[in-house]
Amino acid sequence: MKCENCKNNDATFFYEETINGQSRSVRLCAECATKMKAGEKLFAEQGDAFSFPSFTQLHNNFLDGLFGITAPNTKGTAKSCPGCGATWNDLLKSSKAFCPECYTTFLEELRPTLRSLHGNVTHTGRAPAGRRAQKEKRDRLASLKAQLGEAIKAENFEEAAKLRDEIRGLEKE
Amino acid sequence: MAWYQVKGNDSDTVFSSRIRFARNLTGYRFEAGLSTKDAEEIISRIEGALGDEYIKTDMCGLSALQAQSLVEQHLISRDFASKKTPHALFRNDNKSLSVMALEEDHIRLQCILPGLSLRDAYRFACECDDKLDSALELAYDESLGYLTHCPTNLGTGMRASVMLFLPALKAANMIASLAHQLSKIGLTMRGLYGEGSEPHGCLYQVSNQVTLGASEEDILHKLEEAVQSIIEKERKLRQQLSGEAAERRADRIHRAEGTLRYASMLSSEEFFSIYADLKLGIALGLIDSISDETLNTLLINVLPATLTQNAPSAPKSGAERDRQRAAFIKQALEVSK
Ligand SMILES: [Zn+2]
Ligand SMILES: [Zn+2]
Repeated sequence: MKCENCKNNDATFFYEETINGQSRSVRLCAECATKMKAGEKLFAEQGDAFSFPSFTQLHNNFLDGLFGITAPNTKGTAKSCPGCGATWNDLLKSSKAFCPECYTTFLEELRPTLRSLHGNVTHTGRAPAGRRAQKEKRDRLASLKAQLGEAIKAENFEEAAKLRDEIRGLEKE
Repeated sequence: MAWYQVKGNDSDTVFSSRIRFARNLTGYRFEAGLSTKDAEEIISRIEGALGDEYIKTDMCGLSALQAQSLVEQHLISRDFASKKTPHALFRNDNKSLSVMALEEDHIRLQCILPGLSLRDAYRFACECDDKLDSALELAYDESLGYLTHCPTNLGTGMRASVMLFLPALKAANMIASLAHQLSKIGLTMRGLYGEGSEPHGCLYQVSNQVTLGASEEDILHKLEEAVQSIIEKERKLRQQLSGEAAERRADRIHRAEGTLRYASMLSSEEFFSIYADLKLGIALGLIDSISDETLNTLLINVLPATLTQNAPSAPKSGAERDRQRAAFIKQALEVSK
C-alpha cells in the first residue's frame, strides 16, 4: 500500500475514525506523517502514553487538510461568555473552551463540533454527588406529579391528598 | 512497593490497566487563562480535598530530569513536566493513584494497576473522584457532563486504557489491521515506546476515543470485550508456533537473557527488544530465573531520566549511559535473586 499523500513511499502510518457511521481513513508514509505536523505522532508515540489523544488537533490540522471536512459554523456571534469574556471567534481560534460557562454560552455554535467528535451529544453516566441528589429529587417529583394527575383523573381524592402532601414536603426540602 | 512491582492478572499479555478522569472546578477559568493567584488557590483547594494520604510534589521545584523521570513512571504527561506556571502532583504511596493539578484540566486523576484490572482501577478512581467531589464544586452540565478545557473530553471525562503486550500479533504483522478494526468501534490503539511505525517492546495501548454519550459502564464494557478478544488472538498465535520456528524463538529468548545478564553496554533500544523477548519467554515458561515483575520494574527504571537519577553520576555520553544501564540491570537482577 502506497502513501496516499506522496503516492511514492510505502504507507506505514494509518489512521481511521468512524463518527456518526461515516468512516474516514488515511494511510501515509513516515515522512509525510511527520511533515503533516499532525500535532501528535499518529500511531506510535515515544515514552508518553499519558496525554489524552489530541483528537481535535488531529482533526483540525490533519484530516481537515486532507478531507476538507466542513468546519463548524464560523459565523461569529456578538455575544461573549459571562464567565470569561471569550467570544465565539476566540473559541474557534483555540479550539478549546476558556471556562465552564463557555459551554452553556456557545452550546449551539459548538453542537456540530461536538457531534463530529462524539457522535452522541447527551451525557450519560457519573455526576457530582450534589447533582445526583438533585436529579433524583427532580425525577421523584416528576413521578409524584404524574401520579397526582392520575389520582385526580380517577377521582381518588384520598390518594391525591396524600400525594400532594408528599410533593409539598419534597419541594420544601 | 510501586504498583508495577506487583504481579497482575493476565500478565502474559497485559502490562497495566488505567482509568483517568478529567475534572474542573467551577468559578475559575480553565487552565490556559488562569492567574497565578487562582492557580495557587486551585492547587491548595485540591490539596485540602485530597487530605494527607497523598504525597504532594510541587512541580515547579523539580529539575527537568526529575520531572522527566515522573513521565517515565507513567505518573505525569510530558506537557505537565515542561509546564512553567504553577502545577502540582499528588500521589499515593505505591504510585497507583495520582492527581495532576493544573494539567490541561484543573484535575487529571488516574489510577493505574498492574495487569488486567480495569474494574478495580475504575473503583479506586471513583473513590478519589468522590473525595474531590465532596470538597469541591466540579464543573458539570446535565447534558454535556463534566466540563473540560478541550471538548474532546466532555461527558464522562474518562479515558480507560489497557496496555497490552503483543509480540505474536506484531510478528504476524497484524497490528495495523487490529488498530483499524478497533478504530471502527471507537477504540484507539497506539504503540507505547519508540518513534515512527516501529514501536519497541511490543507494548500497545488501547483506549476509548469518545467520552460523551457513552456511560463509564458502556466504555468499560466495550474496552473489556475488545481486550479479551485481542488477548485470545495473541495467545493462540503464540501457541501455534511449532517446529523450527518455535526453536528459533526459544533460542532468541535465551540469547536475550544472556545479553541482559552479561552485556556491559546496553542501549534503550536494545533493552526494549530484550524486554519483549524475555517477557514472552516468561509467559511461555522458558525463563524462570527472572520474574515478570522484575522485568517490568526494569522497564521503568532503565529509561534515561530515571536511570540517571539512580546512577552514581550524570552520564557524559551515550556510551556512558549504556554502561550505566547495563550496570543497573546487573545489580537489580542480583538483588531480586
Ligand atoms: Zn508519503
Ligand atoms: Zn467562558
